[in-house]
Amino acid sequence: MVKYTKDLGSAHSGLSDWYLQRVSAVILALLLPWVFVLLWTVALDSLSQQALFALLDSLAVRIAHTLLILALTIHAYIGLKVMIEDYVHRGIRVLLMGMVMVGMGLFAIWWLSLIWAWGG
Amino acid sequence: MTIQLNIYRFNPENDSKPYMQHYEVAMSKKGMKLLDALNDIKWNLDGTLTFRRSCGEGVCGSDGMNINGVNGLACITPVEGLKQPIQLRPLPSMNVIRDLVVDTTHFFDQYRQIKPWLQAYTPTPEHERLQSPEERAELDGAYECIMCGCCTTSCPSWWWNGDRFMGPAVLLQADRWLKDSRDEAAGERLDQLEDAFKLYRCHQIMNCMEACPKELNPTKAINHIKRMLLNRQS
Repeated sequence: MVKYTKDLGSAHSGLSDWYLQRVSAVILALLLPWVFVLLWTVALDSLSQQALFALLDSLAVRIAHTLLILALTIHAYIGLKVMIEDYVHRGIRVLLMGMVMVGMGLFAIWWLSLIWAWGG
Repeated sequence: MTIQLNIYRFNPENDSKPYMQHYEVAMSKKGMKLLDALNDIKWNLDGTLTFRRSCGEGVCGSDGMNINGVNGLACITPVEGLKQPIQLRPLPSMNVIRDLVVDTTHFFDQYRQIKPWLQAYTPTPEHERLQSPEERAELDGAYECIMCGCCTTSCPSWWWNGDRFMGPAVLLQADRWLKDSRDEAAGERLDQLEDAFKLYRCHQIMNCMEACPKELNPTKAINHIKRMLLNRQS
């Protein structure tokens, strides 16, 4: 007798995660090195702390900073989600993914508030 | 010259646990294949050793097994070049029926889920549905698959989530039907595959390509399906 696995069909999910993971990776590859460059120049005293603050205050840098934090949060969330889907059993999988989502969301909101409330 | 083999033995009717059994057979001819050594054991030394084989030339896909830690077909693997004693185990992550024989029910059930047959809705032409040589060439790298299961059972994503992840062999076949110029069900096929578990569990570690005895590249096929889904959305 042939056994038939119950096929629940497709959840029509996964494509957006896969796509966002790649888009956010490109944004991170472009923007993340600048964080280290800036910290390094401050450490070497090529840039004073005051000058760094002034730089972070400019609109263009605030926008880039926002983009960086959004890409970082999305990328980290999807990465953790993929790992949870890979290795965690179904019972606590959804709960764990929800906790990660809330945690990453709070982190992003807190950081974005720092970016946009700075100096004003 | 003798060949040393350590072979996984398990008969659920008598054994409480699997064990490895040592065998020695003579290197009977140059270019001898691993299946020749197994046949020698089965016919001359120990008739209880159980394994699947049929065509003996890499076409039927029956004798997939784990050879020194790598999945492959015994019938086309030369004994020469294998580190001895040769460690032979059943394909990983499948239930063992006996010795090297595994239960492939779920594997072929997943194959059935992708409807591996031509689906066309336009009226049947008077003769056959024709394909140009170029359209036929699109199927190169996919039609050669013999469904031996070497790739799928070497995939960690299938080990962890095999109940839902289709695995490389089945996804290579899914892509084969998506690429077939005569098939008219591409939309439904993509609908059926767009799923975080069925398709996107593939993280491209390429164990499948390493294992494939026919030197096919299932990872490439899976990426092609992902690109088709992206193109459909954007």
